[in-house]
Amino acid sequence: MSAQPLTVRSATPPECRSCNTSVPVDEHFCPNCSRIQSLGRHGDYFAFLGLPRRLVIDPQELDRRFRDLSRKFHPDFYYNASPAERLASLERSSYLNDAYRALKQPVSRIEHLLTIEGLPMGKSEEGAATVPPGLLEEVFALNEELDEIRELRESGTDAATLAARLATARQPIEAKRDEHERALVEASEQWDRQADAPADARRATLESLRRLLLERNYITNLLGTIEREAAAHG
Amino acid sequence: MGKVVGIDLGTTNSLVAYATERGPVVIRDASGDALVPSVVSVEASGTVFVGREAQRRLLTDPSRTVYSVKRFMGRGVDDVQGEAHLLPFRVGGEPGGVVRIGVGDREFAPPEISAFVLRELKRRAEEHFREQGEFDFEVDRAVITVPAYFNDAQRTATRDAGRLAGLEVLRIINEPTAASLAYGLDQKNRGTIAVYDLGGGTFDISILKVEDGVFQVLSTNGDTHLGGDDIDRLLTELVLAELGTAGHGLPAETVQAIRKAAIQAKIDLSTGDETVLSVDRSPALPDGFTRRITRQEFERLIRPLVDRTLTPVRQALDDAGLEPREVDEVVLVGGSTRVPLVRRLVEELFGRTPHAGLNPDEVVAVGAAVQADILISGRREMLLLDVTPLSLGIETMGGVTTKIILRNSTIPASGREMFTTGVDGQTAVDVHVLQGERELATDCRSLARFRLRGIPPMPAGLPRIEVRFQIDANGILSVSAKELRTDIEQTIDVKPSYGLTDAEVERMLIDSFEHAEADFEARLLIDARNEAESIVHATEKSLRRPDFAQLAGHEVPPSEVASIEKAVAALKAAIAGTDREVIHGATHALNDATRHLAEVMMNNSVREALAGRSVNDV
Repeated sequence: MSAQPLTVRSATPPECRSCNTSVPVDEHFCPNCSRIQSLGRHGDYFAFLGLPRRLVIDPQELDRRFRDLSRKFHPDFYYNASPAERLASLERSSYLNDAYRALKQPVSRIEHLLTIEGLPMGKSEEGAATVPPGLLEEVFALNEELDEIRELRESGTDAATLAARLATARQPIEAKRDEHERALVEASEQWDRQADAPADARRATLESLRRLLLERNYITNLLGTIEREAAAHG
Repeated sequence: MGKVVGIDLGTTNSLVAYATERGPVVIRDASGDALVPSVVSVEASGTVFVGREAQRRLLTDPSRTVYSVKRFMGRGVDDVQGEAHLLPFRVGGEPGGVVRIGVGDREFAPPEISAFVLRELKRRAEEHFREQGEFDFEVDRAVITVPAYFNDAQRTATRDAGRLAGLEVLRIINEPTAASLAYGLDQKNRGTIAVYDLGGGTFDISILKVEDGVFQVLSTNGDTHLGGDDIDRLLTELVLAELGTAGHGLPAETVQAIRKAAIQAKIDLSTGDETVLSVDRSPALPDGFTRRITRQEFERLIRPLVDRTLTPVRQALDDAGLEPREVDEVVLVGGSTRVPLVRRLVEELFGRTPHAGLNPDEVVAVGAAVQADILISGRREMLLLDVTPLSLGIETMGGVTTKIILRNSTIPASGREMFTTGVDGQTAVDVHVLQGERELATDCRSLARFRLRGIPPMPAGLPRIEVRFQIDANGILSVSAKELRTDIEQTIDVKPSYGLTDAEVERMLIDSFEHAEADFEARLLIDARNEAESIVHATEKSLRRPDFAQLAGHEVPPSEVASIEKAVAALKAAIAGTDREVIHGATHALNDATRHLAEVMMNNSVREALAGRSVNDV
């Protein structure tokens, strides 16, 4: 099973099925007969919600757009419509729900931006086996400490001592995570300022966003490992 | 077009409501009762009783009477092993297949039993509309509610039940969300609401955000096997245990009498601090049974059950990203929320007094009526955005679940997954669809298996088959597939793991029409017998009257008396049979034979009545 390219767009704008007017892909309704349009191969959640391709989004604005479009697309309101319109309503509502979910959280929002900008994360990289270079030091130290804690646990050391060691081991990782959160926010803001910047500068920002996300996923996994060890202490 | 209604198809009780311009109306019977017990009793003759009458039959004819069938909707035989032992009716079916309910020599799928309840509600609603003087009183469409935590198979089973009852199911909606719609009507609601819904057999928690008339569910959780039924069972088991050896092997009638007493004690303890649980004497229980029970003891008994509702509540809050105190309003739904312990624990968890302004038994049906009205009117002031309660996935290499649509995704929702072949020239791929949160396929609910066929022969790994999973606004899944290289749509035959195929539903529909005719015939037969019996009774009474002796001999010749006696005997014989025409014929014959006698007796009594009175007094 492989990932599916999301940015396929029709070369020619699709036509309205009911009046054959050519309708731009980002229009939800036919400008001529105002019928709901079938979804086609849409791939840009920002454009779908009528938002600029920016990473800082006012959550209330996003909620408002989601509600407004839900009121326009939802199958509840197409109960007596033609089968084609009912299908279009179903597809468009499903897609809207996906778009809203993806853009609501900052991390999935960045992932979507990377996808439509041609730098998708790819499923296999999410839990990356290879240690990101920026984390080598922390990972090395943590693994060593975890080994020692495991040995202590097996030799019957009391839970309080183990918990204290684990808490200490956790600190640098958490610090790293906080650092990454800040870096992600900074890179996001930088992207938003670069709307008119040259392509290579924009590309560099996207690449640093991508690197930060990969590291972030790695850190999340490390914290998961610590949690599992903590659980083993009972 | 006929009428549209909203139906709450409950584990214990069901009811029907509809929308009017002045707001939603719950349909009640002559005595003002809206609740129709979800109990179905099937007589040996084939006559079906639903509701109160069926509930009465639980005490007299338990083995032919089915209750709590909602617990078996869309479930497999293996799921329900543990709970069949206290039930008076047979629960069976093929291993690995759907549950079958056995009544006498007939077997029913759970949706068929639910369809009887739905038909009764439909009949009630039609009677109501007829009484209202509506020209077009037929009810042909409905919104039916289900627990939010119902899986795909359980929802589909409910939709099948609607079809079997002759209803077009406009929409399946979730009970807690329906309740929130009903609450949303009379308030300018805005904010975060938690709906805690503990019914007869199921528990749901839904967290919603309400803004601008959009009711957006943020998360939902629950337990489809937790409700008032379980409280009743605990109390029943308590009594059986205290009866000791006498509690073993009691006939089903007695177990039902104990259950009835347990339910009454539970209800009493919602208001009183103590009550007496008392079971009447019966042959199997010659001393009867009485036992004082305090609320404290009752609460100790049911505490573990109520505690079980709190884990889903915390999970739902967590999924919504909220702390209990961030919830603006807590709404209680379902009859079991009348139990004080439930109220207390919910209040403790959220740190606020729960809202219970509307009747917890009726609020769900009211919400269903509101949603039905939205669907047919196209009015957009209110919109319900619900979620799918469980993740949808497929089984991949090594028996692992790969999730495609995550739980708490707003519906409608779609997902896609790419498949390819493993062998050169392979033209088919098997897909196993699952629902649940667990990592291993065997720990998730098997929804369906299907085979992608018609893949153009290509080297292994080359075909790119995109399978699209669509969950509609009912929370029900459909699947489509396409080979992307050739753009060929694939044929999919979905075999539901715990559901009925379309062909089975069709067959049941035909069966139900046939049985509807049989049921109708059975009713006519009963009517004919009743009429015949009352004539026999009246005739025999006349022959025993003191004045008959005076009349016999001169006004009524012995030959006439003999022919009347002959006609009575013939009619009695006809009543013992099952031929309605024969009963009718014999009834007419007796009527004819007694006509002269009736006239004579009538004149005689008129004479007596008038004797000694002047014409002016008459």
